[in-house]
Amino acid sequence: MISLAGLRKDFQSGDQAVAALQGIDLEVNKGEFFVLLGPSGSGKTTLLRSVAGLEKPDAGEIILNGKTVYSSSRRISAPPEEREIGMVFQSYAIWPHLTVAENIGLVLTHGRARLPKNQAAERIRRSLALVQLENFDNRPARLLSGGQQQRVALARALAVNPALLLMDEPLSNLDARLREEVRTSIKKLTGQLGITVLYVTHDQVEAMVLADRIAVMSHGRILQIGNAFELYRSPANALVAEFFGSINWVRGKMLDGQRVESEIGPLVTETSRRYDGAVVVGIRPEDVKLDDAFNGVENRLDGNVVSSNFLGDQVIAEVKIKDKILVAKVSPEKERLAGNVAVQLPRNRIVVFPETATGEPVA
Amino acid sequence: MRGRWLFVAISAAGLLPVVAFLLIILWMGFWQGSPGEPVVYTLKHYQTLFADPSTYRTLVNTIGFASTTVLVSLVFAIPTAWLVERTDVPGKNLIFALVTIGALLPTFFTSMGWVFLLHPRIGIINKLLIEWFGLEQAPFNIATLIGMGWVEGLGLSSIAFIMIVASYRAMDPALEEAARVHGLGIFRTLRYVTLPLTLPGIVAAAIYIFTIGLSAFEVPAIIGMSNKIFTFSTYIFYKIQPLEELPSYGMAGAVSSLLVVLALLLSWGYFRMLRFSHRYAVVTGKGYRPRRVELGAKGWFCAWFFLGCYFLVAKFLPFVLLVWASLLKFFQPPSWAALEQVSLYNFYGLPWNLMLQGARNTLILMLSVPTLALILCLAISWTVLRSGLRWRLTFDAVAFLPHAVPQLILAIAAVFAALFLLHNAFSLYGSLAIVIIVYTISRISFATRIINNSLAQIHPELDEAAFVGGLPLWQVMRKILLPLLKPALVYAWLWMALLCYRELTMASVLVTSQENVTLPMIVWGLWLGGSLNQAAAANLVVLAFMLPAVTLYLIFGRRSRFTEAL
Repeated sequence: MISLAGLRKDFQSGDQAVAALQGIDLEVNKGEFFVLLGPSGSGKTTLLRSVAGLEKPDAGEIILNGKTVYSSSRRISAPPEEREIGMVFQSYAIWPHLTVAENIGLVLTHGRARLPKNQAAERIRRSLALVQLENFDNRPARLLSGGQQQRVALARALAVNPALLLMDEPLSNLDARLREEVRTSIKKLTGQLGITVLYVTHDQVEAMVLADRIAVMSHGRILQIGNAFELYRSPANALVAEFFGSINWVRGKMLDGQRVESEIGPLVTETSRRYDGAVVVGIRPEDVKLDDAFNGVENRLDGNVVSSNFLGDQVIAEVKIKDKILVAKVSPEKERLAGNVAVQLPRNRIVVFPETATGEPVA
Repeated sequence: MRGRWLFVAISAAGLLPVVAFLLIILWMGFWQGSPGEPVVYTLKHYQTLFADPSTYRTLVNTIGFASTTVLVSLVFAIPTAWLVERTDVPGKNLIFALVTIGALLPTFFTSMGWVFLLHPRIGIINKLLIEWFGLEQAPFNIATLIGMGWVEGLGLSSIAFIMIVASYRAMDPALEEAARVHGLGIFRTLRYVTLPLTLPGIVAAAIYIFTIGLSAFEVPAIIGMSNKIFTFSTYIFYKIQPLEELPSYGMAGAVSSLLVVLALLLSWGYFRMLRFSHRYAVVTGKGYRPRRVELGAKGWFCAWFFLGCYFLVAKFLPFVLLVWASLLKFFQPPSWAALEQVSLYNFYGLPWNLMLQGARNTLILMLSVPTLALILCLAISWTVLRSGLRWRLTFDAVAFLPHAVPQLILAIAAVFAALFLLHNAFSLYGSLAIVIIVYTISRISFATRIINNSLAQIHPELDEAAFVGGLPLWQVMRKILLPLLKPALVYAWLWMALLCYRELTMASVLVTSQENVTLPMIVWGLWLGGSLNQAAAANLVVLAFMLPAVTLYLIFGRRSRFTEAL
């Protein structure tokens, strides 16, 4: 459905060229809900805007629905109006001088399709019904609330029957409660329509709820592509691991096989790759097990609870092992933990990456 | 807050003359008398005014002139603004610099250039066309309403451009992108999205330009007056400096009062439109640059052809003509014969003593007026935004008045006050002091607006922290606010200094002697006296004096602030 090859884009920032996209290769399947996830400045919005034709890449190729819309080698660059897309903008981009119905009508009667008035009216009615705004057609669009504008934007993008729906952080301007609600309805609606979606967000929960597959981006590169479970459980590198929730890092040295001599003690891991020399070992707080006494299990360490906070559904404890503090998230059996505890780190939950000279995990 | 009342007192000192001038104008309309005679109050002036057919002719003239001005300025400003803000046309910094210089080029300067180009008797283009095609009559006439509107419109197109650029910038670019991705091409996007959304901004600019056109003085004075085409400004001027009869301050007062009312109504319309356009303005969450329309090589060529014609016609052509005229004893179209007569005769013949006096006075004005205006306006802005005074909004409203009231009328009120109200106490008439006072008053709106905008961005807690630390108000001003406001103050100072330099409208009634003569007045005097070629030479000398100041402005004044003052 979407096929990107070797996509590059530099931005001129003062005298310096900043690489926004450093050679992106990506395939998105038909009917797939695909999320581009990354911190601000990672290039995800530039990538989306390049697909839309709002940004012109410097090199590479973009094929949408079998049609080459951009190719640097063949000197093709189709303007946005010639690509069969619908798009929801972060600011919604609802035209404030038009009514709700006119906002949708304009793209139907003057856009790619150029429908006659009566057909457009029928299509407007159906699109508004899709987002449950049936009786809003004559409302001036600028008087709508943020959530309603968001729905009009979605209705407008779907009204043109696009082969591909692009969404640029569509939920970031909504308050938390509404965000969850709209998130669910977007998922349901796009699922029903079976439409291909390319969706940009910096919120990992949003990505995990919505996506069939996620591409994690950083500094203009794709770090890893996979579904939520793969990215969370088997991150390809430390950055991806950090981007999905918090994680404890411990320095160490790889011994033979899968054993690591770490600053908190010897650990057994299941890592399949061998690194020579210094490594970092990561484990998520919820995987740090605490008990009065684990006996006869591997990766058992002695720790001391430094602080403990009761949060209702969990207890967050800081546990000191040797000179290192690990954060543990445990079920709230007791109000607080204190004193000496036994710590266990299950081997299948430990990730290992090589360490750089600065002591930071390698991206 | 210690020292608070000092600031309020300074603001009041700056604003009282504004109110006084307005009251004087209204009062003048009912006043009849001349020095040494008893004063009579009468409705006669209004009766004469409404009975006189020339009033209506002047009204029609003025509206025709102002409308042409609006049309011409928008025709050049809208495409230029679109090219700069929404396309990938190269040379954007150059365009901004040329526009800024265009806004600073004195209108009396370009007006003279256009007379040399298109005057039916002496205009080069007319003469050449008559010669080449054997015409009986000159095809063009600059001394018409359309001609004058053309010159004024070209001059004001810079301001229109800046205002329209501002309305493009206030618009969320995603609104246009949404049209493009859903299938509307460049032109449909322009028509159905960009134009309707920027329309309130364009209408606001049109009203603003129209208001300036209504009371514009320089073009009607230089092109219109000698050809007996009067607009309200020259009509008023003629009433107080007639060639034959006695001055009639009463008639001038009556016309001025009407013009003030009209200008205030238009300002109200302008602010309504501006508010309307702000309704459409959306602040985007993202700092991305909007998609630029790619023009391609052909498009670049067309764009620069248009821009080139615009800058050539608006700025360069009048300049070249003045240079040519200044080198000739008698004006004539270029030819081998004419080239042989080229000399610096006009420059030698300039009244250099007077010019030196004028340069001295102008320099004093350029240094004193911006400084005084900034002191007053700092106090006014502080009173409006920080004092918590109950009357602070009244201060704000009064500070706006000099913007709405035509400058010529402010000057007339001052001259009237000097002649008939204060003549026993001070001898202000014909002094440099009166010029300084009126120039300063006329800049209050501009400077207050600039300082207000900057002061509003400085969080009040910054000065409150200093108060809590025990600093008195003047120290807070000196140590906290002045350093933070510095960029705005430098910009405003330079801009006001340049406006002082090119000011002719107010000078035309304020300057009555050698003692307070200014450079633009000397140029105008030569022109009115019929020495057109000498006037051209004088104009170039004046422009040469102005260059260093313009350079300073381009270096230190940030162009973005330009928009705040409108």
